[in-house]
Amino acid sequence: MSASTSGTSAPAAASRKSLKAFSEDVWKNKTAKINAELFTLTYGSIVSQLCTDYERDFTRVNNQLYSMGYNIGVRLIEDFLARTALPRCDSLAKTSEVISKCAFKVFLNVTPQIGNWSSNKDSFSIFLEENPLSDFVELPMDAARELWYSNIVCGVLKGALEMVQMDCDVWFVSDVLKGDQLTEVRVKLNRILKDEIPAGED
Amino acid sequence: MAIYSFWIFDKHCNCIFDREWTLKSNHASGTINSKLNEDTAKLLYGMVFSLRSISQKLAGQGPHNEIRTIATGKYRAHVLCTASGLWFILLSDLKRENLSEVLRYLYGEIYIKTVVHNWLSPIDFAESEAEKRGRGTRKIRNRNFLQRVEEFLGPMIN
Repeated sequence: MSASTSGTSAPAAASRKSLKAFSEDVWKNKTAKINAELFTLTYGSIVSQLCTDYERDFTRVNNQLYSMGYNIGVRLIEDFLARTALPRCDSLAKTSEVISKCAFKVFLNVTPQIGNWSSNKDSFSIFLEENPLSDFVELPMDAARELWYSNIVCGVLKGALEMVQMDCDVWFVSDVLKGDQLTEVRVKLNRILKDEIPAGED
Repeated sequence: MAIYSFWIFDKHCNCIFDREWTLKSNHASGTINSKLNEDTAKLLYGMVFSLRSISQKLAGQGPHNEIRTIATGKYRAHVLCTASGLWFILLSDLKRENLSEVLRYLYGEIYIKTVVHNWLSPIDFAESEAEKRGRGTRKIRNRNFLQRVEEFLGPMIN
């Protein structure tokens, strides 16, 4: 019996520049484009409908957006992997790079900055300078206190990372819609989940 | 040149799809999601699992080292492992050297479009703890999926 193996199946090598060029290529050639305004307005109508349904109980709206995002994330990751053919990341630094340069680029055509690393390198922040979800949005007074308008993004990240065996907490720290200086999403890695092995093998 | 069978395993070590062709002359011959193939599926899983862990150990700290093909005296197994833990495996005769494009198409254009983008289909086929770790028996039964697999792989079986 003989076996053959391969290195990374994607052209994305370790260097920063090539991941960027690679994502650019995936976005240009392998992604169907839609009108961003249609997307923004669709998301707006979802949030507004949820606010009505939950009688402006914004904690519940946040939770609902998060769980909708989670359900999207667990499916979106497959789409992402099929398009990019990237292997698992060997460090959180690599993960953060793939998220900002590749995932956000491919799905939303933005490249947020990564920063604010914790000292033990288990959490980082994503700074969304442009956020296509919240274009045209101004929060009314009552919502500005509690509503995290783009909370679906946290759910998507949570779900997608979980599917590649990374158990993370993802939450909003600040949002320009609330009058903050920056829009900051925090990602904290709790643990790497173990791959399953068949029963009776351990 | 011939393709003998096609298998999908999920991250719970379960076989979630199998298709085996028996007659070269007949695209429709053979079995789909057959109970009789359960043991074969387990053996195939074990073979890929072992060789995969060997190849990853031998790669050391370097870049990922995923198994691509395994050739025996009689057949060749082509393997695609995704970061999300899905395995796509095609068994072919020895003349087929590289089917990685075919596997990528099965994943990106067929599995994604008919299972992942289909919100009425589950993507996690284990519904409880008791169905994880290779003990589940649920299969992909989406009509569109089955049809597109037949259309795509049928012409390649002989």
